Amino acid sequence: MHIETGSDAVLRAERFSYSYPGAAPPALADVSLSIASGELCVVCGASGSGKSTLVRAACGLVPHFHGGEASGELTVGGLDVRDHGPSDLAAVCGTLLQDPEAQVVMSGVRAEIALPLEHRGEPAAAVARGVEEVALALGVGDLLDRRAETLSGGELQRVALAAALVTRPRLLLLDEPTSQLDPVAADELVSLLRRLNEDWGTAVLIAEHRLERCLPAVDRVIALADGRVACDGTPDEFLAWASREGGTGEALLPPVARLFSLAGLTPLPSSVKGARSALASARIEPPPEAAPPPDRPPARRFPLARHRPRRPPAALAFHGVWHELRDGPAILRGVDLAVAPGERVALMGRNGAGKSTLLRHARGLLAPTRGEVERAGEVALLLQSPGDYLIHDDCLEEAGARGLASAGLDGRETTDPRDLSGGERQRLALEVVLGGGENHAAAGRLAPAAVCLDEPTRGMDPARKRALACRLDRLAAEGAAVVVATHDTGFAAELADRVVLMGQGVVIADGPAAEVLGGGWHFATDVARVLGGAGGALTPEHGARLLERELVA
Amino acid sequence: MSGFVPTYRRRPSPLHAARAGVATAFCAALCLVAVVHDSPLVLGAALGGTVAAAAAAGVASELGRAARLVVPLALLLVAVNALTSREGETLLIRGGELLGWRLDVTLEAVAYGAVAALRVTVLMMALALFTAVVDPDDTLRLFRRVSYRSALTAALATRLVPVLARDAARMGEAARCRPVPPARAGAARAALRSALDRSVDVAAALELRGYAGARRPAVDRRPWSRHDVRVALAAGVLALAAVLAAAAGVSEFDAYPELALSVGAGEIALAAALVALPLVPFTGASARLGVARAH
Repeated sequence: MHIETGSDAVLRAERFSYSYPGAAPPALADVSLSIASGELCVVCGASGSGKSTLVRAACGLVPHFHGGEASGELTVGGLDVRDHGPSDLAAVCGTLLQDPEAQVVMSGVRAEIALPLEHRGEPAAAVARGVEEVALALGVGDLLDRRAETLSGGELQRVALAAALVTRPRLLLLDEPTSQLDPVAADELVSLLRRLNEDWGTAVLIAEHRLERCLPAVDRVIALADGRVACDGTPDEFLAWASREGGTGEALLPPVARLFSLAGLTPLPSSVKGARSALASARIEPPPEAAPPPDRPPARRFPLARHRPRRPPAALAFHGVWHELRDGPAILRGVDLAVAPGERVALMGRNGAGKSTLLRHARGLLAPTRGEVERAGEVALLLQSPGDYLIHDDCLEEAGARGLASAGLDGRETTDPRDLSGGERQRLALEVVLGGGENHAAAGRLAPAAVCLDEPTRGMDPARKRALACRLDRLAAEGAAVVVATHDTGFAAELADRVVLMGQGVVIADGPAAEVLGGGWHFATDVARVLGGAGGALTPEHGARLLERELVA
Repeated sequence: MSGFVPTYRRRPSPLHAARAGVATAFCAALCLVAVVHDSPLVLGAALGGTVAAAAAAGVASELGRAARLVVPLALLLVAVNALTSREGETLLIRGGELLGWRLDVTLEAVAYGAVAALRVTVLMMALALFTAVVDPDDTLRLFRRVSYRSALTAALATRLVPVLARDAARMGEAARCRPVPPARAGAARAALRSALDRSVDVAAALELRGYAGARRPAVDRRPWSRHDVRVALAAGVLALAAVLAAAAGVSEFDAYPELALSVGAGEIALAAALVALPLVPFTGASARLGVARAH
């Protein structure tokens, strides 16, 4: 095995195509690109565009692990991926996949990081040195003696990153590494990647559809559509292309760029800082007290939950709900919250704030140690892993024809639910908990009084998020209270009338979305950050209308 | 099932601090006693020594989890032997006849079953102690020079037990969220598929860490710590005492045709040693971890 070390291109693809076994359309078609040493690139595209397949091809899992047919040429460090499997390519590239839980194979952190070096037969001293160095460089030194099962998702992902980097690879491949992380852990990971790219010159290729986080940090953006390279250029070139392209291209724009695009402002910014500075230099500064954009209803005011008089017709109400562990702290501390029929509520807060526990109480999976949960009817609950709800061999059996139609999965009746994309699984699982789209009256059951979802947008592209928001809007219009626990401020802004912020098991803020998400440091949308909360504008659409009004004025 | 399996957690004890090979030898010495001796007095002492060592290492609760599985198994062993053995001269219960098989229970059959159950209990508790005090990753390192793939499979199984238990709990919650609970067979099939999917993901991760091209690992030549020395000494003396006593005919026990148990100075001395020796690594000032010696 000869590994090229002098060449500038660490990854080179020449008309590379690949099809999964039994799949007719190729996942990658005629892909030609090259990544130079020290470059930091992001691969973006809608779900199913081929991002993950490109990463899996570069690390050798495709075709060696997944099977299928490959043609053309793809070399990594001079090794042709059709001739060399993942173990050979591990000498050149480190790889980090989506699910942190599935990537840590050993029980202890130190052993996990040491494993790739031990596989290479490195002497014990070299292994110990490699582990210490990479752990200190990536800030996981204090985790070295921890057990894998005690780590959070973000910590597991950093440990997996350390294991991928311990052999000092020339190329680091990452497949949606932030999709399972909360925003803080995701930001930390992106900063870490930037630092190791700058300090060590490691080439980095990230497959990601949440571009707002990566775009300010990357040198180059490769957009894929239907397995083909649709755009390959600098972030500015990509933004100009996406704005011109419309449709799928426009859907890839991060919120701040979309704000400018909708308002007709150019050039499109790649970051909040860039957007603010562009507005300042154009002297467009909507005052914080600006009136809401024309189509946005004036904000309804909700006082803090404990001061609010009880509203009798609540679809779901928590009265002083406590959840205290037998041998641990209290997860919920006297939560008072009422959600009216048709109301759309975003439940936000950092990890461990009690959001998921509250939703479990809503459904009755947990019983309060004190207090009471009042339900006007059935509560449908979709937890974080939609795959857990899918137990049948085909989609039709899971949700019925009506359910498939509601999920937008017509024509996929015979598909195995495990072959669906993350977003499709989410929609199908939602229909499963809603009763398979059945006619509730005919079935002798009432429609759910409340629909609760826990982190439904993880790993979803913007188009799928919009589709989910529309489905939830329909449910709310039919009279169901919708409660969504999420870290995704953009989704919360698009969906919710009201945002409830939790911290340490209590409700710490409860008010209209514009108020809670417009003025926070952490819980604020990018658009609100750019506009300073002016007019309560949270989404690019509302922000753009506000800017248009300013431009006219 | 995972509720019965002890799990390793790093703790400040000499047994945890000792290298994997030495701690494994310590547990193996306790198993050796159960293999080469028949006397209930000696087996009871070995069990006492095992539990005492676990308590001193702070893993008594882990042994308690294993006991939830071991005790019913031991009782079953006693019952089965009592009902199926036709040997023994001291009749305790005259049973009827079932399918041509007399169900008489003799004292000797009960005693024989009880000793067999005690032996199984000592073996399983020593294994539970091993699981609770020896880092599975170090065990993998220990055995990988002999059979890398087998050792890795064992280590992975250890890692995957809590992961699969969490997966199963999640799937159970999901089943409770369905308007109509799924059939048991369907839920079991889904759980199996989920476990297989998880295994495929882990296999992919292993490939990416260079598993297929793994070479024979280099020998780890770490210097021996004081805990290594003391635990090794205890293990060596324990094994030697067990073997020499067995060779000298100490602790003889016969259940049939009549109970014959020798209880002399040799047996009492051996039993005392089996309780005391496992505690040797935990005694004395040098057994304390993280405390500097006063000069």
